[in-house]
Amino acid sequence: MLLIRAIVRPEKKDDVLAELSSAGFNAATMVDVVGRGKQKGIKIGGMVYDEIPKILILVAIQDSDKDRVVKTILSTAKTGSDGTFGDGKIFVSPIDEVYTISKGAPIL
Amino acid sequence: MKEIMAVVRMKKTGVTKKALVTAGVAGFTAVKVSGRGRLVTDPARIEECRQKLLSMSTDDFGGAQDTEQLVTSFLDGSRFFPRRLFTILAHDDDVPRIVEAITNANRTEHGIGDGAIFVMPILDAIRVRTGETGEAAIW
Repeated sequence: MLLIRAIVRPEKKDDVLAELSSAGFNAATMVDVVGRGKQKGIKIGGMVYDEIPKILILVAIQDSDKDRVVKTILSTAKTGSDGTFGDGKIFVSPIDEVYTISKGAPIL
Repeated sequence: MKEIMAVVRMKKTGVTKKALVTAGVAGFTAVKVSGRGRLVTDPARIEECRQKLLSMSTDDFGGAQDTEQLVTSFLDGSRFFPRRLFTILAHDDDVPRIVEAITNANRTEHGIGDGAIFVMPILDAIRVRTGETGEAAIW
């Protein structure tokens, strides 16, 4: 099983989650985060803003669904035709075990 | 070394903390998150919740139609509800014990929305105070 952590623009959050839900991945966890990327923040006038608000979405999936989920997030979180700085990132990490508390059993 | 991520109900934060201390794990990180789970497929279950919510509501502000709409949007599965995300670092041997403690503390009679636990591998950990690495840095 895999844990997908996707950092997306706050305004794209609803699109991404709706698209994930219709692709069959309704379960998700959402965290408000701040961060900066390789652009080193945004400079407006003399001020540098390097704590840019983003949304971190956590989704646990089966290994075989990885490509589908990543593709879904990529296509919905992108802005403009070529993408823009600040569209976010996706990290994929392995999960050893998943437990659903209400079932009390090790199933996703 | 494992990282245990547990999403639990807001209300269960205190119980979970107590359960962790009893299980011998005092250290953890907690974040406020919002989450949703799998779609509920049992219509009887949804109807039950719906009646409960409708009986609690008052139509003073928006009228009956608004209430109806609000309750429906609550139960269609697309809504995010507040939850608490615990992150705990643990030795491999302690994982089953901790998972059991969290599960026991968080199971409710609702059978839905109690959260999930993910156990993930961690490559290294470093304690900032002493510079210890690996297993020694966990507790």
